[in-house]
Amino acid sequence: MSEKIGIYVCECGPNIADKVDIENIMDEISKLEDFKNKELVVKKHKLLCSNEGKEFLEKEINENKLTHLVCAACSPRDHDTTFINVCKKTHLNPYLYRIVNIREHCAWIIPDKDEATKKAIQYIHAGMNRVLYQDSLFEKELDSNPDVLVIGGGIAGMEAALNLAGKQRRVFLIDKEETLGGKAAFLTEQNIVQQKISDIQKNNNIKVFTKTVLDKLIGFMGNFEIVLKSTENPDETTELLAGALVVAIGYELFNSKKLSEFNYEDNDDVINSLELGRMFSENKKITLKNGKEPKSVTLVHCVGREKVGFCSKICCNYMLRISNYLKEQSSNIKITHLIKYLNLPYKEDQNYYDKIKEKGVEFIRYSDLSVKGTKVEYTDINDKKGKLESELVILAPAMIASKDSEELAEMLNIDLHETGYFQEIHQKINPVSSTTDGIFIIGSARGPANIVDAMQQAKAATGKIFTQLIPGEKIIPEVMVSEILEAYCTGCQTCLNVCSYDAIYFDDERGISVVNEAVCRGCGNCVGSCPSGSIRTKHFTNPQLYQEVKEAIR
Amino acid sequence: MDNPENVLIIGSGVAGMEASLMLSKAGKKVYLVENLPIIGGKIIKNEESFPNMDCSTCLVAPIQQEILQDANIEVLTLSTVEKVTGKPGDFKVIVRKKARYVSLEACLGCGMCYPVCPVVLKNEWEENLMDKKAIYVPCSGSLPNVPAIDASQCLHLNGKDKSCNKCVEACMFGAVDFSQKDEEIKVNVTGIIVATGFDLFNVQELQNLGYGKYPGVYTAFEFERLFASNGPTEGKLFLRDTEKTPDSVAIVHCVGRDEVGYCSNICCMSSSKHARFIKHNLHDAKIYNIYSDICLSDKSYQKFFDETKSHDSEFIFQSDRKKMNITKKDGKLEVSYFNGKETKESILVDMVILANALRPSDTIEELSKALEIKRDSFGFIEIEPSKIGSVDTSRPGIFVAGCAEGPKDVQGSVIQSEAAVAGILSMLDQ
Ligand SMILES: Cc1cc2nc3c(=O)[nH]c(=O)nc-3n(C[C@H](O)[C@H](O)[C@H](O)COP(=O)(O)OP(=O)(O)OC[C@H]3O[C@@H](n4cnc5c(N)ncnc54)[C@H](O)[C@@H]3O)c2cc1C
Ligand SMILES: Cc1cc2nc3c(=O)[nH]c(=O)nc-3n(C[C@H](O)[C@H](O)[C@H](O)COP(=O)(O)OP(=O)(O)OC[C@H]3O[C@@H](n4cnc5c(N)ncnc54)[C@H](O)[C@@H]3O)c2cc1C
Ligand code: SF4
Ligand code: SF4
Ligand code: SF4
Ligand code: SF4
Ligand code: SF4
Repeated sequence: MSEKIGIYVCECGPNIADKVDIENIMDEISKLEDFKNKELVVKKHKLLCSNEGKEFLEKEINENKLTHLVCAACSPRDHDTTFINVCKKTHLNPYLYRIVNIREHCAWIIPDKDEATKKAIQYIHAGMNRVLYQDSLFEKELDSNPDVLVIGGGIAGMEAALNLAGKQRRVFLIDKEETLGGKAAFLTEQNIVQQKISDIQKNNNIKVFTKTVLDKLIGFMGNFEIVLKSTENPDETTELLAGALVVAIGYELFNSKKLSEFNYEDNDDVINSLELGRMFSENKKITLKNGKEPKSVTLVHCVGREKVGFCSKICCNYMLRISNYLKEQSSNIKITHLIKYLNLPYKEDQNYYDKIKEKGVEFIRYSDLSVKGTKVEYTDINDKKGKLESELVILAPAMIASKDSEELAEMLNIDLHETGYFQEIHQKINPVSSTTDGIFIIGSARGPANIVDAMQQAKAATGKIFTQLIPGEKIIPEVMVSEILEAYCTGCQTCLNVCSYDAIYFDDERGISVVNEAVCRGCGNCVGSCPSGSIRTKHFTNPQLYQEVKEAIR
Repeated sequence: MDNPENVLIIGSGVAGMEASLMLSKAGKKVYLVENLPIIGGKIIKNEESFPNMDCSTCLVAPIQQEILQDANIEVLTLSTVEKVTGKPGDFKVIVRKKARYVSLEACLGCGMCYPVCPVVLKNEWEENLMDKKAIYVPCSGSLPNVPAIDASQCLHLNGKDKSCNKCVEACMFGAVDFSQKDEEIKVNVTGIIVATGFDLFNVQELQNLGYGKYPGVYTAFEFERLFASNGPTEGKLFLRDTEKTPDSVAIVHCVGRDEVGYCSNICCMSSSKHARFIKHNLHDAKIYNIYSDICLSDKSYQKFFDETKSHDSEFIFQSDRKKMNITKKDGKLEVSYFNGKETKESILVDMVILANALRPSDTIEELSKALEIKRDSFGFIEIEPSKIGSVDTSRPGIFVAGCAEGPKDVQGSVIQSEAAVAGILSMLDQ
């Protein structure tokens, strides 16, 4: 079929028409020397993006049986998709169209009309050069599996499983411990956890594997192949298929004994907040090691905060609750909180704090302190030194990432944040998605979180999965992906290291690297890295760019 | 059920936009109701967002564009929800849509109409730091980039001078359309998400801080606009009505915290951001952050705070927020406060930024009545107490997301919005 290129110049009202000589542009384009043997249709329109303009364009493509299309108009940010959508209504493959920006790049920035006109001609010419070298590209459809693997059966993981499981979606929930529930079991929220555990047991669409961890994962969103293994017998493995993963492996407490300022023995009445939580759920009261109720308590906030480099967000809150409970247990108890700052990010916190202060609980702001058994020496923010000797010392150590995070991140090919927690793909606008498509991060595995945060994040991941992995619907991967030309690839594997999405694998049999098109995002990193120049990104090939640039910079 | 697949989203901030796009991707028809002429919410007032100092426009403009181009999303600007009857799965909604008097289809956003309009008004969106005309866009870069006419102020529309047709004459596209009428739109939807965000505490309630009395005292949003490259000074830090930059600035945290009764969650970070921005632009400026507590609610915030504290600003602790006083002295502003030793101290500065508390949006009372949903003791939309960890309101089928539920940062708002989408879709699944 011979080539027939349509070139449509948009006036954009007065925006382009007033600033460049459109007649002159059309004239010059029509008689370009290097397009002498090609059939050209050159027309203008008042407003190509308007409904009338789009209908005009559609008719033109059809009636002229165009093989290529160039729209000389505005920024692709404004209307690239508009014209792509017009092409989609016709026989013309949208990858055989090119937008040329003669508004922002010419009309709006060059005061001299002749100069602006000249540049517009040059740019349109460049676009025509490029479009001839473009290839048709076709979207592919892949089957996808709607099932989900949830790793970690704390409150976050359980909530995700319960929200996700349905008639058309099974959930596999694994936990390395013998029972579900995680570390949320504390003070008042105990019943929520128990309720969730029993809801899970009743749900036929959730299959629970305890004492189980992930062993291996390959694949991509919609099609992950998973191997699980038992923590008791590593040879006992289970193979599964799922379309998405939710990572909810929770947190750990910073070990305060690692800090030289904290000197205490196991039999001292110095306990950390989780130990206290456990004591409370077992005995329903807070006591000393000898079983008696304490008459004086020091609560130390921010233990290890400087070391780990972040505020744990929730410990001020639970320390206040402990204080409140102690006051209820015995009203004339002497309570002192040693705080750095008081972090009260939830709207209910302030009232709670005010109430506790009214009960006579004391708050001291420290800059430094040391713990020797139940004796606490501190320097306050005014450099005044002080000493507290109480019967019980309760520590709030920083909440840190689970020690399994690193290994799991490696296995899942997702990034870790510098704090050791899992990293969001975009902290602000995509906060529960990991750096790999189809893998979500929630709860205190993502960063310090309370139960409400953990549950809302579980629902957020559910929302993401509901909209990205619809049962029965196919997924359409990126079209503008990279490909490695077998004949040139020397098998050096340089590209494997530069791909941020792990889209390239090495084919041992053929001795070459291969791009997994379902995973590649077409970023082009690998193209530049290949010493033998054997990688190209579709729609951004060297000949295409060369043809465009050679004219544009002439 | 007439339209089992329709959803109503009220408010087009980050929370409302994320929910709209997700639901559209899931094949639902979305009605996105916004009472301003533009979409985007409060974040577009900010030049940069903490903690990565991302350009806010670059973050949000592609999302706004995607919404405007999405055929599944019907954006209803200048609109409010008046009444909701019916039940989950089958809500009947009445939306009141004010006339824009400019055709969204015909207008190109060329801006030829504003200069010719004779009516000069204060631009509230720009925190009254600059003027606008009766035909206006709130700021440059507004999306949709189509002006609206303030009917009560336009001479033609309010009848003061029927012959004024200046904007009509200036428009080469015939986009100005005085024949547009306010409309009542009825839609049937299965579920509703409330994402109407927040407004700021009125600092004039605190006489001792001198706002309104001294031109050098700013609110947090006034400062955001001052620092915006599309704002009244195009990002130059000129003191009000002058072309002088400040040599010293005090940023006061927790303004209005005692009055509203909670910590606003984000203002320690936004105040650190402001310190950073000033230092970045005015290297020799002396900056103070006067705080009473520090709230850092994300794993990445401490680092940002530490860096600001060590490079950009001196952080001063005040022990009693109620005792702060701002007065004029030697041509400067004197900020006096009680320090950690409970003794009075003061600093002299050219500029004061008050980090005012976030509070429920002005429209929330009326809206919550129209929707028949409960609010908490602070006035925010309440999450149904029996559904802890959800984003369900007291009325089944209606969900809440973002700062409409309480103060939070962008990611916190987006998380709730994604959770609300899960709520809606679970409901449709049943
Ligand atoms: C002292 C203390 C008091 C608290 N008090 C409160 C409170 O009063 N109210 C409140 O709202 N929040 C409170 N919290 C916070 C609460 O504990 C957390 O929000 C909650 O536990 C987070 O749940 P999660 O599911 O993210 O993590 P976790 O509860 O830590 O659960 C993680 C689960 O993952 C499993 N797991 C870990 N690694 C793996 C692996 N590699 N493979 C498979 N499974 C794995 C674990 O066994 C565990 O079951 C408190 C926290 C502390 C430290
Ligand atoms: C000074 C300052 C600086 C900040 N800087 C940052 C930052 O750097 N990084 C960060 O993460 N966060 C920052 N924030 C917080 C951020 O602004 C919020 O997290 C975010 O805007 C919340 O989004 P939202 O969608 O909940 O609400 P909003 O952004 O408030 O959007 C709500 C929308 O609903 C509309 N609306 C209201 N009522 C109605 C009604 N009745 N009908 C129809 N529509 C209605 C409003 O016009 C608005 O468009 C800052 C906040 C302040 C005050
Ligand atoms: S929440 Fe409170 S105790 Fe925990 S690290 Fe932050 S300031 Fe310290
Ligand atoms: S283009 Fe980018 S995503 Fe695709 S294989 Fe190359 S490096 Fe990976
Ligand atoms: S109404 Fe007309 S003059 Fe005004 S911005 Fe729109 S197109 Fe331009
Ligand atoms: S008619 Fe006149 S007053 Fe009204 S918006 Fe147009 S120019 Fe302004
Ligand atoms: S976030 Fe900071 S400035 Fe804002 S109210 Fe809380 S403690 Fe005060």
